[in-house]
Amino acid sequence: MSKQLLSITNVKIAFAHISSRIKQTIVAVLSVTFGISMYIFMNGFMSGVNQTQSDLAFSTLANIRIYHDLPEDRTNILQRTEGEEVITHIRNAKVIQYTEGIKNAEKYIHILNQTPQVEVVAPEVNINVFFRNGSLKINGILNGIDPEQEDAVFHTADYLYSGSWNEIKHRSDGIVLGKGLARKLSLNLNDKVIVSTAEGVTKHFTIIGITETTLASVDNTQAYVRISTARQMLSENMSYVTDLQANISDYNQAAVLAQQLNRSIPYKVESWQEANGQLMAANTLRNIIAVAVSLTILLVAGFGIYNIMNMTVNEKIREIAILKAMGFDGKDIVQIFLTQSVIIGIIGGLIGLLLGYGISVLVDHVPFKIATLENLPMTYYSMDYVLAFFFGLITTFIAGYLPSKKASKVDPVDIIRG
Amino acid sequence: MSELALSAKNISKYFYVPQTFQVLKEISFDVKKGEFLSLIGKSGSGKSTLLYILSTLDTDYEGELIINNNNLRGKSQNQLAKFRNAHIGFVFQFHYLLPEFTALDNVMLPALKLGIKSKEEIEAKAYESLELLGLKDQAMKHTNRLSGGQQQRVAISRALINDPTIIMGDEPTGNLDSKNTSIVFDIFHQLAKERGQTVIAVTHDDDFANNSDRVLELHDGRLLSDKYREQK
Ligand SMILES: Nc1ncnc2c1ncn2[C@@H]1O[C@H](COP(=O)(O)OP(=O)(O)O)[C@@H](O)[C@H]1O
Ligand SMILES: [Mg+2]
Repeated sequence: MSKQLLSITNVKIAFAHISSRIKQTIVAVLSVTFGISMYIFMNGFMSGVNQTQSDLAFSTLANIRIYHDLPEDRTNILQRTEGEEVITHIRNAKVIQYTEGIKNAEKYIHILNQTPQVEVVAPEVNINVFFRNGSLKINGILNGIDPEQEDAVFHTADYLYSGSWNEIKHRSDGIVLGKGLARKLSLNLNDKVIVSTAEGVTKHFTIIGITETTLASVDNTQAYVRISTARQMLSENMSYVTDLQANISDYNQAAVLAQQLNRSIPYKVESWQEANGQLMAANTLRNIIAVAVSLTILLVAGFGIYNIMNMTVNEKIREIAILKAMGFDGKDIVQIFLTQSVIIGIIGGLIGLLLGYGISVLVDHVPFKIATLENLPMTYYSMDYVLAFFFGLITTFIAGYLPSKKASKVDPVDIIRG
Repeated sequence: MSELALSAKNISKYFYVPQTFQVLKEISFDVKKGEFLSLIGKSGSGKSTLLYILSTLDTDYEGELIINNNNLRGKSQNQLAKFRNAHIGFVFQFHYLLPEFTALDNVMLPALKLGIKSKEEIEAKAYESLELLGLKDQAMKHTNRLSGGQQQRVAISRALINDPTIIMGDEPTGNLDSKNTSIVFDIFHQLAKERGQTVIAVTHDDDFANNSDRVLELHDGRLLSDKYREQK
């Protein structure tokens, strides 16, 4: 039996110890339970908030956007090439207007569709325009889109306040306005609106839908028409787009994929992380908070167990001495006390998993009617549960190991001599 | 001439706290197998200190200690633990039983640790050991339900479970009344005579000492006398 890795006798003594000190054992178990359930709740809640935030952001932001970036600033071109003895003088400098937009969009749509991670691609022709109703004149953005693909990427149809989304496809004069924009123009469903581009092209539209995302920046400026209509207003051919918006299977991979796509696409390929650094930073910060808070709680739980195990060791010091006198060695003593804290860790951990799930479900049902939310957000990732249990065990192991080591160093002579 | 169970050669020991003080001074003696030896002396003469060295618990000494032909100098703590488990049985003035366990479980512990016999054999042996001390009917009781004398007898049963060659006791009857003292004495006597086990007991009890085979007396850390009782 002494040849076994974990001796049955030692485990039996460990069980005798924890069951003879029920109160302390319960306190120790509860501190693990508390630590682990808080870990689960904090991480579930924070990633719920992250998820909501991302979902909201992805209603206007695609995972990957491809567009024609403006050329670099080249006003200093001469100073860069000439030496010190040459005086350069540039008079009346002008930036040449480069062609905007993506030519041959089909080719790049094809490349995107061939990429396995890419799930949907929406081509867009976006134009800065003026919306007019009589003498009211407001600038905004006209999105020339394909309603199905646009909806696939941004779930635009979900935010429709009134009217119809898909009708854009069938009506070349149909327009869907953001709710704020419509209000500012004092327009309602089925009213007429005049849209004019910077080049002076003007077209009359009928309002066939109104959307409301609750994001003021969107609702106050955006309008949607059929993509072919937008191309006509710019006098561009059928393969012209200004933006390609794509969603991929795992949005966390967007930055990597964007870099990869940049090799085969000669335009700016921008991931959402690059486009919206704040969102990324906020998500990361929330994750850090969740981990920091929950690990702190586990640490406190660890101190609790450490204290209780230390008390146990002090209380059982005569038993330790006699066990050693009878021939139990340091390893046996470590096993006896470490087994106790591991048992506490496992029991506390299992209860903690259940309690953490319970708290999460409870909080998940707390009404929270702000923006598009109904209840407080919550996620239930199995990885959080696995990690919580893992960290809980590690904590109890370390917290139990130190007193066990101390117990194993007890000199029986000191104790027995009295 | 019978074999030696234990041989102490020039054993000295110092304490350094509160000040340097030689507690044992070059103590040498041999103990034969089956001998029942009492260690006496005034309080503070160094009896307990010597016994802890003989029992291998205390390794901080000068000189040599040989038990059953094993020189125990320089062995690691874990090796000594193993050695004690197999060769030495202990009885202390305070019984030090595990209160959460039954008398039977307590007695079985050193044998379970030794791990040579099966659990069934160990249990049978533990019953036998308890019976020897008249405690068979108390086997399933938790030790904190037993009287002081009974607890001390459980501790003796435990000391016997691995058939140790040497049984050591530091005032094993110090807390017992005269009736229990004579029970314990008779058992030690019987173990030495019938089973050839060596007994070394520190005692204050003159009757106990005078009835043993041999009496060693310590005085200020020195061996003052070594007397054998006349054999009949
Ligand atoms: N840990 C220790 N540190 C210092 N001195 C000690 C220690 N233990 C015992 N002593 C001293 O050593 C001497 C012998 O003690 P001990 O062996 O217990 O005597 P006995 O058992 O014969 O009464 C005494 O003077 C005692 O005070
Ligand atoms: Mg003493």
